[in-house]
Amino acid sequence: MGGTFRPGFFLREAIRSIRSNAAISVAATVTVMIAVFILGAVIPSFLYVQSTVDKQKDRLDMNVFISDSATNAQVQGLSDRLAQLKSDGLVESYTYISKDDALKELKGRLNNPDIIELLPSNPLPASYKVKPRDPADNPDIEAALRDSPALDDLDGGISYAKETSERLLKILKVIQIAGVALIGVLLVAAVLLIGNTIRLSIFARRREVEVMRLVGATNWFIRWPFIIEGIICGIVGAAAAIGLIWVAKIAVVDDFVANNTGSLTSDQATTIGFVWLGLILVAAGGLVGALGSGITLRRFLKV
Amino acid sequence: MRFHNPAAHAPPRPKVEAMSTDSAADQQAAQAAGRSARRSRDAERRIDRRSLLRGGDGPMVVFENVEKRYGKDAVGLDGVSLTIDAGEFVFLVGASGSGKSTFIRLLNREMEPSAGRVIVGGRDLGRMRRSKVPYLRRGIGCVFQDFKLLPNRTVYENVGYALEVTGDNPRSIRRKVPEILSLVGLSDKSERLPNELSGGEQQRVSIARAFVNHPRLLIADEPTGNLDPDTSIGIMQLLYRINRTGTTVIMATHDRELVDKMQMRVIALEKGKVVRDERQARYATVEP
Repeated sequence: MGGTFRPGFFLREAIRSIRSNAAISVAATVTVMIAVFILGAVIPSFLYVQSTVDKQKDRLDMNVFISDSATNAQVQGLSDRLAQLKSDGLVESYTYISKDDALKELKGRLNNPDIIELLPSNPLPASYKVKPRDPADNPDIEAALRDSPALDDLDGGISYAKETSERLLKILKVIQIAGVALIGVLLVAAVLLIGNTIRLSIFARRREVEVMRLVGATNWFIRWPFIIEGIICGIVGAAAAIGLIWVAKIAVVDDFVANNTGSLTSDQATTIGFVWLGLILVAAGGLVGALGSGITLRRFLKV
Repeated sequence: MRFHNPAAHAPPRPKVEAMSTDSAADQQAAQAAGRSARRSRDAERRIDRRSLLRGGDGPMVVFENVEKRYGKDAVGLDGVSLTIDAGEFVFLVGASGSGKSTFIRLLNREMEPSAGRVIVGGRDLGRMRRSKVPYLRRGIGCVFQDFKLLPNRTVYENVGYALEVTGDNPRSIRRKVPEILSLVGLSDKSERLPNELSGGEQQRVSIARAFVNHPRLLIADEPTGNLDPDTSIGIMQLLYRINRTGTTVIMATHDRELVDKMQMRVIALEKGKVVRDERQARYATVEP
């Protein structure tokens, strides 16, 4: 039966057709490369922004500082109030951070942890890190804890970003929507662009397709080499784009990040790993190539 | 050049006597044709299953009131009813636009009739599913005026492609292609590209491709339309030889001389209607 899938034959046919239509194959590959390069630059940038903003969300958590002079019973009282708030549904979770834990955390955030060694004693208070269910309830939580005798004098003992919290939440949403929309538009543009280039290639060979049909080739028999050709162009184009992105990362981004780290705290925002990004982009390139060929060919296989 | 005049229904003869061009190469080719014919009969049952054409000696082609219109006014065929038996050699003659090409293109379902039924090898093409059409075409060899060869494939690959399509295994392809190329006298040109060949040679390649599957029906649309008279005779001999192996051949042409020489069944079309259908006939009833 001609319907059987014969990978060796189809691969040979695909390579033959790439070689005999070199100019168009190169055009399709370059198109994929440009599209994937843009995508590859936008995805990590978006994730970086997203992650930076997400980190800011942690600042909406409430820090309840405990005075160094508070007695065990006073601290226990504070803990009981938090447990009550949690069962009331205002607080999602709370964790106790001892003085030592606080110091360790600070050490981790410093570029030069040795600075800590210069301190005569641990100046950081113990605290409860309180995660509200909804940051909008922060004022209520604050009111419920305000009169606890265990609170540290500093900052009124309770700290959270009052005014910024709401704004931050809004901005976060806007950035998320804008980023997803941007990537979506880029993807659609890439598929259209690549589809168009492949359409040119297939249009140039419509006579060939017609002859294949006349000698009794099934549609899939004709289609497979074209799809494999699309996948090859897509993957090669994506690989070239990844090469370019890698060069850009080494030459520009890594340098930039190294030179712009804050003097005291290191940047904690994360973005996608290069290997993952590469895999995703190669898969996207291959998929777009296959879809472009397959969809375009439909028109020529109708009769 | 003299053509033998066989009765249309005579069984295929073992020796092809009509092809007396008395060159050694031609005799060799004739023997190859004999071998091909035997192999063709051996493989007939298998090929028929693959190509969907039913075997047996019944009619190969039946047209029942076939009508084909293009748009509002243009008529391709207008109420054509006829039967062509297995093993016949038939000329379709008529002026340009008389419906010859429409007739041919209805046979391999390049198009479907506006009305009526087309039955090929016992299959009603109107009821055939679209996905089965490739299998139908494997059982019908096609030869065209413009050859329709794949331009960036060698002669060998062009012929081999028709076998690749059927899922034939590589060993069998390596055996069959040289055999068919020697039949059409192109053994020494198998690595050439189509544009390196003369028109006559290209047409031989396309005939080789059409016949390499040993189809039970071979249709040819003006196969000599682009060729000079001497070359045309060579192509004609080839088609005749293929017919002698038992393959039904339907050939559309307006080459008056060729038709007159061959003395085969002639179906004359005019404005989409059959105006004459005679056996052992000439191109026209009135002598030119």
